[in-house]
Amino acid sequence: MTHARVLKYGLAAMEADSFENRLAALVGQPISAAGPTTSPDPVNQPMIRHWAAAFEDRNPVYVDADAAARSRFGEIVAPPLMLQTWTMATPQITGIAERGGSPVEGTRAAVLTLLDDAGFVGTLASNSEFEIVRYLKLGDEVSATTVLESVSPEKQTRLGAGHFVTWVTTYTDAAGAVVGRQRFRILKFRPGGAPA
Amino acid sequence: MSDVVQSMDWRTVAVGDELPAMVIDVTATRIVAGAIASRDFMPVHHDRAYAQSQGAPDVFMNILSDTGYCSRFLTDWAGPDTMVRRLAIRLGVPVFPGHTLTYTGQVVGLSRDSDEGLVDVAFRALNELGEHVSGTATIGLPVPQESSP
Repeated sequence: MTHARVLKYGLAAMEADSFENRLAALVGQPISAAGPTTSPDPVNQPMIRHWAAAFEDRNPVYVDADAAARSRFGEIVAPPLMLQTWTMATPQITGIAERGGSPVEGTRAAVLTLLDDAGFVGTLASNSEFEIVRYLKLGDEVSATTVLESVSPEKQTRLGAGHFVTWVTTYTDAAGAVVGRQRFRILKFRPGGAPA
Repeated sequence: MSDVVQSMDWRTVAVGDELPAMVIDVTATRIVAGAIASRDFMPVHHDRAYAQSQGAPDVFMNILSDTGYCSRFLTDWAGPDTMVRRLAIRLGVPVFPGHTLTYTGQVVGLSRDSDEGLVDVAFRALNELGEHVSGTATIGLPVPQESSP
């Protein structure tokens, strides 16, 4: 092996190491430096009624106070999978398309920029997993903190080489008690499976 | 469709029991209603022209709608005293207007947790393109105290 080739391979290894290290450094970090996202409105009947109507979910514990009182819950509860809805950003409609579909102005998560810059520009949502600790009641105030939980080593997928990125969001009530968690996983891939 | 009033008795549930299928006729209205009710304003879920500019043939269902329908599928079956403890889905092909989405599932496990009976369910939802979601869930039901003989 020539000196030049050794140098080239050494640099490539350093670059790869640097990329992996930069990914690893983001794991465990919150995606926002601004702290938890708090629901703009407490858990409320109008939003629950709107949600139940959209999905034609006729579970009476969401909208019928009498039926809810007779249930195990004793009062109206929010649909458990509305957990993520309470803290969704209030959209800024003007400019939504120009922002690439992002409902609000914001900075792109550092892990996504890092993967984009390395050629993993494709994005495919892969998994959504919820753990419900307790059902929310009317008046509950919800906060969410999202942390980058893991970035997989590079894997070959049918879409091309890529990394699975997993965030975990912890939802808490006004007292700080955990009410649920969500894991969300995407695949960031190099479209067409083109080599690096 | 009848209203959900009666909850299932956990003691009568068996591994292998099939959940009643839930069939959703998907329209643009349904997709938009679900996206907005879940406060997901990404234009691919309500603006066909925008969706097409992103390479999709039409608006498509958002993930918060998927988890919403999954929870309805579980509680339509098990009743209002159900507590959804855990829901995990894997995402497959997209859902567009004109599709029929059919949810099926079966009981794969039973256990007890203090005063609650737990049921593990494996499920999937298929449309014309293939498997839209597959997943597992754990629901809890209150178990009546056994009366003394």
